[in-house]
Amino acid sequence: MSEQTSKPILAIRDLKAGYGGGRMIVNGVDINVGAGEIVCVIGQNGAGKSTLLKGIVNLIQLRQGTVQLDGKDVTDLPAQKLLLEGLAYIPQGRSIFPRLTVAENIRMGGYLIKDRAVLKRRHEEMEAMFPALAELRGLQASSLSGGQQRQLELARTLMMDPKVLMLDEPSIGLAPRIVDQVFTVLRDLAKLGKAVLMVEQNVRKALAAADRGYVLELGKVRLEDRAQALLDDERVAQLYMGMRPTAA
Amino acid sequence: MLAFAEQGMNGLMMGAIYALFALGMVLIYGVMHVLNFSHGVLFMAGAYVCQVIFAQLTGNYFVAILGSMLVLALVGCLLEKGIFQHLRGSLSMQIVASMGLIMIVQNGIIYFFGPLALHMRVETVESKIRLGPLSFTAQHFVIIGVTLVAVVALDLFLRHTRLGTALRATSQNLEAARVVGINPDSIFLMTFALATALAALAGALLGPLFLISPAMGDLPLLKGLTAIVLGGMGSVPGAIIGGFVIGILEAQATLVLPTDYRDAVVFAALIGILLFRPYGLFGKRERGEP
Ligand SMILES: Nc1ncnc2c1ncn2[C@@H]1O[C@H](COP(=O)(O)OP(=O)(O)OP(=O)(O)O)[C@@H](O)[C@H]1O
Ligand SMILES: [Mg+2]
Repeated sequence: MSEQTSKPILAIRDLKAGYGGGRMIVNGVDINVGAGEIVCVIGQNGAGKSTLLKGIVNLIQLRQGTVQLDGKDVTDLPAQKLLLEGLAYIPQGRSIFPRLTVAENIRMGGYLIKDRAVLKRRHEEMEAMFPALAELRGLQASSLSGGQQRQLELARTLMMDPKVLMLDEPSIGLAPRIVDQVFTVLRDLAKLGKAVLMVEQNVRKALAAADRGYVLELGKVRLEDRAQALLDDERVAQLYMGMRPTAA
Repeated sequence: MLAFAEQGMNGLMMGAIYALFALGMVLIYGVMHVLNFSHGVLFMAGAYVCQVIFAQLTGNYFVAILGSMLVLALVGCLLEKGIFQHLRGSLSMQIVASMGLIMIVQNGIIYFFGPLALHMRVETVESKIRLGPLSFTAQHFVIIGVTLVAVVALDLFLRHTRLGTALRATSQNLEAARVVGINPDSIFLMTFALATALAALAGALLGPLFLISPAMGDLPLLKGLTAIVLGGMGSVPGAIIGGFVIGILEAQATLVLPTDYRDAVVFAALIGILLFRPYGLFGKRERGEP
């Protein structure tokens, strides 16, 4: 699936993003994500992965380039409008509301849903999708385990039924077994037709779960290929998976 | 024993005022991390606006209270939009701005109403109510009752409405709030409006019992701050309990100490708390949030 078979749901063109002072951290990035596809961006600490996602959802000071969602130019829409258009984002680190209950957290995911009946139905769907959360609904979110908190973030984000889901390091801080669970959920979502764009440092597992990948270095795309091809790539193995060069 | 009961009632009444006062401050602190030292003059302005609406416009105390809350809520919005929004993240600038506001509001009031204290004469609430051998003004009961209603209403709002939950969410994780589509600026505006309306309510309630004067907010400001510290710097229930504790403490203190030491007792308690329980009476550290 290296070449985009159909038209991408999310198309980023020549994106530049930075935090002020005119210095661009992300410096001209092109990325496509198709429906039902998981795309993974890897790169070292400080490569600009988080900045890239913040740039896409317009939660950053400096920004150039274009963002198209489902064929529509959404470059200048604020994050709130992007959410309504179907582009959702989970930031890096724990982004739950720690002292709201699990149920309140999920319902906040539907903050922009005005219709109470829809809100209630979506909430029920999320509890069906994440049964563990349904059992914990009255608990404070901060008392959940790391993996449950990640599930909660996903449930909260899926309340808006987005077309594109962007995640900043979904595996960070989780035990290996839990990481596998999270990626399984992402695969399931892709099967449902969602486009997933994630940024990861857990290169091996993330690429194993992804369809295609991009390697970001110093704010630019260095490599772009099918995930399996990147996994087999010696440069990627050396730089991001801690392998020594094979030819010594 | 009788004196004890009498001071208990006075303490409850003043405690209610302090609780309302501290609630406004703690909301602003919890949501925006702004320590608004101008809360005292907003309380005072609330009493003056209430007096104007009552004595000069309507003659209806109830309408005057609501009107004063409304006017001050608008003032709160203006302050947030015009001043505090631009000083986010700079505590020293917020303090300087608050101090400036104190001077502007206080001198503005003196300019329009003169430096002398005014008397808000609301006959219905001045009438005495007897409780056995003791008698209190009806206003004592009005203050306690209205405060309870306000506290319950606020609690329902914060815990059971979409906007109230969004307010708490914003105070707990600003970035996540943005990500779910909450507009923090409108939450901040609402918080400021709510807080200044509570200050106005406290001022309007206290007006008929004491004289209204340009300096009437100074001591409540310090006591409101004490209540917040007592309650753990950021907890809404803590601020309410803190307010009542201070009101009752200072009232009972007058039984054993000269009245002049009443305020000193409160501040001694503050120093004690800061020394021995810096996270407040209830001990748990919660980074300022309702
Ligand atoms: N809020 C900010 N203001 C200014 N500079 C920032 C800010 N956040 C990040 N940077 C800078 O931008 C560069 C890229 O940061 P970014 O967070 O995008 O990297 P990353 O690839 O996500 O790294 P990590 O793997 O550690 O999360 C870094 O040099 C960082 O110092
Ligand atoms: Mg990052």
